[in-house]
Amino acid sequence: MIIDTLELEDVTPDDIAPDEPLFVEGLGLDSIDALELGLALQKRYGIQLEADSEDTRRHFANLRSLAALVEERRVK
Amino acid sequence: MTDSPLLSAPWRAGEPTRCVGWCAGSASGVATPGVVTPGVTTLGEFQQRIGAWQACLDTIAGPGQHWSLHERAPLEFAAALIALWERGDSALLPADDRPETLAATDRLTRARLGDVADGHRPVSSGHAPRWGQLAPQRLALALYTSGSSGEPQRLEKRFAQLDAELATHRARWPLDGRLVISQVSHQHIYGLLFAVLRPLCEGAPLADTTCRYPETLHAWLAALATENTDAVLISAPPPLERLPESIDWPAVRARLAYVHSSGAPLPAAASARARRLLDAPVLEIYGSSETGGIAWRDQHRGEAWTPLPGIEVRADTENQLWLRSPFIDTRDWQRQADRIEPSGNGFRLLGRSDRIAKVGGKRVSLTAMDRALAADPRVREVHTVALPQHATRLGAVVRLDESELPRDRAARRTLIASLRERLLAGYEPTVIPRYWRFVGHWPSNAQGKLTAALIARLFGDIDDRRQPRWLGVMEAGEGRCAIDLEIPERLIFLDGHFPGQPVVPGVVLVHWACQLAREQFALDAPFQGLERVKFPLLLLPGERARLTLAQEDATGGRQRLSFSVDGARGRHASGRILFAATAVAEEKGDERYG
Repeated sequence: MIIDTLELEDVTPDDIAPDEPLFVEGLGLDSIDALELGLALQKRYGIQLEADSEDTRRHFANLRSLAALVEERRVK
Repeated sequence: MTDSPLLSAPWRAGEPTRCVGWCAGSASGVATPGVVTPGVTTLGEFQQRIGAWQACLDTIAGPGQHWSLHERAPLEFAAALIALWERGDSALLPADDRPETLAATDRLTRARLGDVADGHRPVSSGHAPRWGQLAPQRLALALYTSGSSGEPQRLEKRFAQLDAELATHRARWPLDGRLVISQVSHQHIYGLLFAVLRPLCEGAPLADTTCRYPETLHAWLAALATENTDAVLISAPPPLERLPESIDWPAVRARLAYVHSSGAPLPAAASARARRLLDAPVLEIYGSSETGGIAWRDQHRGEAWTPLPGIEVRADTENQLWLRSPFIDTRDWQRQADRIEPSGNGFRLLGRSDRIAKVGGKRVSLTAMDRALAADPRVREVHTVALPQHATRLGAVVRLDESELPRDRAARRTLIASLRERLLAGYEPTVIPRYWRFVGHWPSNAQGKLTAALIARLFGDIDDRRQPRWLGVMEAGEGRCAIDLEIPERLIFLDGHFPGQPVVPGVVLVHWACQLAREQFALDAPFQGLERVKFPLLLLPGERARLTLAQEDATGGRQRLSFSVDGARGRHASGRILFAATAVAEEKGDERYG
């Protein structure tokens, strides 16, 4: 979902290690990506995120935390 | 001669046997390959052709119409244009014959004329023409800008404007009866003026078809060697940059008086090379569809541009070009998008003014981004663009030497990482280009421009996951071409093929070959089968490969197309695709692959 939402090139699911940071280092995503991902989570899983909370940042830390968020809060 | 070349309608009178059109004949299918047998169209025959077009138009509507006109052959185009002018009509010239381009002209015109779908053309072979009234303020035609700086704009030209420009060119470079050979489209202003209207008005013959390939040019010049006729070549950067050294130019070039080039500045090396191979001055014209011609130069004599007679040019404090020209409607000074620097009696072009894009709400100068990337010693040429449909991320088209092009995913990632690293010194991560297209040849249209349509093509695989990443046509010739492709990681055909080790299915390669051949060679015959297809080596996501296509002679009622796909590791595919000899109903996009 990350790759498709962000239309990333040169990245395959194998490139995203579960515990590697998604933003800045690691995959190198940025603030626009965060907005796009937030939107996709809402559309695909019905997850509502608060715009700029400490929680959101924690959820977006790496793939594992993002997956946990989806499992816990998905309504679709 | 008068100062109103068009208004004096020189095609109406004169010796009926005067040569108006020159036909090189066909270079293929004759006894000796490469040898052509010329023929001529006389003024009398040309007038009959004008009459035939008028008879055709009369069956559709009375005078006073605006017609969409697209016709590839310059002489036939000229006959149609004059026919409608003399009838009291005007023309809209679509920039090309793509369905969406033509659809846009339909809303503004009575009907389509010429060699396009639903285009009217005369059925009778000849007819006596009628002459009408041409007036300076009458609308002669409308045409489109090339779209290098966005969506194409429609521009109207009155007879007085065209005449002012034609008279200026005639005074500067009289044709003196030389044959005009064109390598450019006359659906655009430069080709229209230089390749069609000038020879018509100056009583000089024009080659009746466009001379697309260097081999054709060689054959035509060879045919001229036996006639007592000199020639002028109306060309552009793409054909001049690709003049092959391997052709025996010295044997044929004596008849070539000079070469014009326009559309984009010709690189100095290409100018020198064309001059050396063709042994003729290369005279470049700088201008635009909006402004008409502005200046000219011969790089053999210097880099600076000299304004055309009657044109006034000045630079403001920000080096912006200001122009006052008899070829535009207003006599006021007009600010242009290009920046210049005075030099001698003329000026040097500094390039476009800053292009600004907004990425994630931040303003970023694409011109500055281009400069930052061009500082990398591997980068030969670069153009960054905003991609509005992709969160306004930036994309970068980067030309590298052939040896520096990334061949696989790892090489591409390393290259991008190093370019990103360079930009991170001066830019925030959000504005750094996310999409990179590495090309070996600068992609350009027939006018030498990287257009909005080409940019859409280069980044088209992001939206359409069935497409390969298209990286430009590397070589094109009569019936053959090579296209560079890259396999996107997100290609839909990789899903489940195979889990753990995705590879591009062979049938997809054949489909791409078929699709690109249809586009390159305007093939519309139905697919009939395959011959000797082999897939010696798997093609993996992220790999770069070159697709080579060659049309073979049609035999046994079928067209044959050989194709091969070659990458850094070797040959991925080869074989032959068979098409039926004649077009039946067009295939629609219900073919399935997987």
